[in-house]
Amino acid sequence: MVSGKSAPRGRRSGGGANSTDRQTERRLQVGVGRAMAHHGELLQGVFEGADGKLHRGLITLPLAAQQSTVTFWPGGKGGIRTRPTDRRKAARAAALTLELLGFANVGGDLTIESDIPVGHGYGSSTADVMAAIRAAAAAAGATLRRSTVCRLAVEAEGASDAIAYGDQAVLFAHREGRILEHFGGEYPPLLVVGFRTGGARPIDTLGLPRARYDGQEIEQFRVLRGLASHAIRQQDPRLIGRVATASARISQHHLAKPRFEAVTDLAEAHGACGVQVAHSGTLMGVLFDADEGGVATRTTALAKTLRQAGFKGIVTFAVNVDGVFLQ
Amino acid sequence: MSGEGDFLAAYETPRLARLAPNLFAACFPLMKLLPARFMLERAEATGHLQHGGPVAETTSGTFGLALALLAAVRGFDLTLVSAASLIDDRLRRRLEFLGAIVHIIDDPEGSGAQRERLAQLHTILEDRPETFWPRQYDNPDNRMAYGRLAEWITREIGRVDCLVGCVGSGGSLCGTGGFLREVFPDLTIIAVDTHRSVLFGHAPGRRLLRGLGNSLVPSNLRHEMVDEVHWVGAFPAFASAHRLHHDHALFMGPTSGAAALVAAWYARKHPDAVIFVILPDEGHRYQHTVYDDGWLAALEGWPAAVPDEPETLARIEARGEGEWTRLVWHRKPLATMIGAERGV
Repeated sequence: MVSGKSAPRGRRSGGGANSTDRQTERRLQVGVGRAMAHHGELLQGVFEGADGKLHRGLITLPLAAQQSTVTFWPGGKGGIRTRPTDRRKAARAAALTLELLGFANVGGDLTIESDIPVGHGYGSSTADVMAAIRAAAAAAGATLRRSTVCRLAVEAEGASDAIAYGDQAVLFAHREGRILEHFGGEYPPLLVVGFRTGGARPIDTLGLPRARYDGQEIEQFRVLRGLASHAIRQQDPRLIGRVATASARISQHHLAKPRFEAVTDLAEAHGACGVQVAHSGTLMGVLFDADEGGVATRTTALAKTLRQAGFKGIVTFAVNVDGVFLQ
Repeated sequence: MSGEGDFLAAYETPRLARLAPNLFAACFPLMKLLPARFMLERAEATGHLQHGGPVAETTSGTFGLALALLAAVRGFDLTLVSAASLIDDRLRRRLEFLGAIVHIIDDPEGSGAQRERLAQLHTILEDRPETFWPRQYDNPDNRMAYGRLAEWITREIGRVDCLVGCVGSGGSLCGTGGFLREVFPDLTIIAVDTHRSVLFGHAPGRRLLRGLGNSLVPSNLRHEMVDEVHWVGAFPAFASAHRLHHDHALFMGPTSGAAALVAAWYARKHPDAVIFVILPDEGHRYQHTVYDDGWLAALEGWPAAVPDEPETLARIEARGEGEWTRLVWHRKPLATMIGAERGV
């Protein structure tokens, strides 16, 4: 087995290329990797890093029920082929991972099976990339730190999100692939009624222009970060809901969701903690305290109301809750 | 509150004190460092302040001290304009020790000479047009600086239902309150002022309690954010400062006494609400006055008991230094409230 540390890096040189290739092919196995979707963000903005400078960052809302599963079948030369075809970012991510682990110029087949809808802000592309990195690492029999997975994902895709951290809430610099603040815990227990606003037409989420925040918004993000830290430390769904709603309101100035006020009114009428959005996508979600009495009745009632109001793709999912909950 | 690694960044960070089960306080050694640093950094970033200064400001004390500390550390020329009734020899010497040039205007009637100070400042600006004037009363960066305090409050406390703070420039209360209201829209904001300050409609006059109140209305004060205003006279403020020291070992200035008095009353009245109070500076500057029995004994009306509760007024009116009054302000503009007084 080859570990990330002991493996030689980069291309191998010398005349024994053929034998080396045979050797690496023998050492690679079939590898499987998985990564989950997300449902947009609880917070997105710009934040001061340890260097005193501002960085774009976000807190992802994970959606564990939807996943991308990638299988890497090593073999042959001529690069990495994908099925479905032309998933170039996933192929590049696998290649970068194998190169990091000392398997340069390895060929193979990458099978991507995902139930994550494309182009609404669920992070389908990033999930494919993350799953491909994990599949490649598994093929090499290696484990990777989450920070390494994120760095490779940014290299492959130009941006990443925090789903590599799973249920751990972090403030994540998505353009750089690194953590700005580890909140030191998991998400507060939430039930989320998610849906799509606007048309069913997918959008190129990575092609969206970056938001230009003004000074007032930048200072406000400090406060949201502070409150998020408190909410996660205290496992307080109400407070994380406040963070999400305030962040969604700022997002309205940059990528406005239609009928936003109608949704916040519905959220309040159903006793929700707040609303969240995909800052680059069409998703919105209404957040509920999963531990509150009668919460299932209220999420069901809200889902029905949203359906009648014409919203699409309504799904109720849980974050950090015992058991399985998906409607 | 900041990634900056120097001493002054730590010095601008308050300590947390719990004064009652539902009452939290931010105890600042020198709160004005927060807006001073923020305004200077913004000015540098936008090209209004060149490296090395010069900087000039009119100040009643603590904002000048904050600028002087920064001037010493960062190496810029600083000129301060103050009034004789606002600044004592000790503070003046400290400012000069830090390298600041200090102009002091005579104000025998103790008005603070705000207009004369501004006239003097304009002369300085004309002499050296490249001078950066932070304008703490009107520069919106003063309010913006308090995003850091609001972050600190939410990180430490989480939910806040009521914010209590003194008003001089309006920066700390309206800045912090504005940022908090984005997450807590129902936040109650209580302003603490003193009799014969014009901020909430009194006619200007001699004030014994300094460091809050104003003889001009600064644009950083947003009256329409304020739910309730309290006018605390000097004596209840002094006595409350003594009590903070005695009961909580908090050695704070007299404006902190005024704010704590109001906050503790509101906390008793609203046991289910979380109250946060801003205490802007420490007691060292007042050791020879507010904390000196001889100085206090010379004051007519002292000793004074701390009232248990304020007198609720139906209209704007100034009282004596021993009194504590309040008026429900209803988030109204100043002109509306003054107009109502005149029956307009």
